[in-house]
Amino acid sequence: MDFVILSLVMLAIGIYGLLTNRQLLKVFISVELIATAATLNFVMLATGQGLGQAMLILAFATDTAVSGVILALLVIVSKRYGTSDIGNIVTLMQSKEEDDEVESA
Amino acid sequence: MVPFVIEILSVGLLVSAVLALFLDEVVYSVAALAGTFLFTALIYGLSGSLFAAIFQFAVSIGTLAVLFLSGEMLGDKPLKKASPTKIAALFGAGIVLSLPAIFLSVSGESGANSNVDFGSALWDLRGLDVLFQAIVILTIALGIAIVLFEKKRKGAQ
Repeated sequence: MDFVILSLVMLAIGIYGLLTNRQLLKVFISVELIATAATLNFVMLATGQGLGQAMLILAFATDTAVSGVILALLVIVSKRYGTSDIGNIVTLMQSKEEDDEVESA
Repeated sequence: MVPFVIEILSVGLLVSAVLALFLDEVVYSVAALAGTFLFTALIYGLSGSLFAAIFQFAVSIGTLAVLFLSGEMLGDKPLKKASPTKIAALFGAGIVLSLPAIFLSVSGESGANSNVDFGSALWDLRGLDVLFQAIVILTIALGIAIVLFEKKRKGAQ
């Protein structure tokens, strides 16, 4: 079993999901998969040793911070536009900007 | 025995990762992500990294609780449910993707050969990092709270 290849495949799946999914929750899941792929390398290349596990905890801290930011974005965007689809959000933002320009004119 | 179990868990890890990304219903996706986290924790535990397994399990439970709630509240509902054929295809894709990891090998000798135990690695070698990470997390938590509070106040006005 080669964990470098395993984490590379997981990284590829995560990046593919990040590029192709339009729902913000799926984007969040993709980010989680990428983070899991990275932490898998930390632990499995230093199996049973303290340093790998210490680095894993530091990676978890970063991952948790990223998760918090993405979830806050998701809540704000969903409340404001009523959808979590990135394509719809962009369309709604553009139409809102046009409405604001008409009102100001 | 254990290497064989780890290979099965690795296949399960990739299958659940594929399901998490490509299932249409958000709740099922989050359930598949729970499987991914569980398989990862089991792989860590069976490889001898017990602290890593416990932390993975603890962090993933928090993430999944938030994701289940936000997925149910904020996720868009799909127009139709996933067909059994699609689920079977995703299973097959996951198994095929795990084959290179089972049969190929690119790993050399690991560079991390120090016999430092977990406690001294965390506090002696990476102590400053731990402190800075705690400051970063607190700052981000405060920033998120301020942004959400501003939105709420603007909404109230």
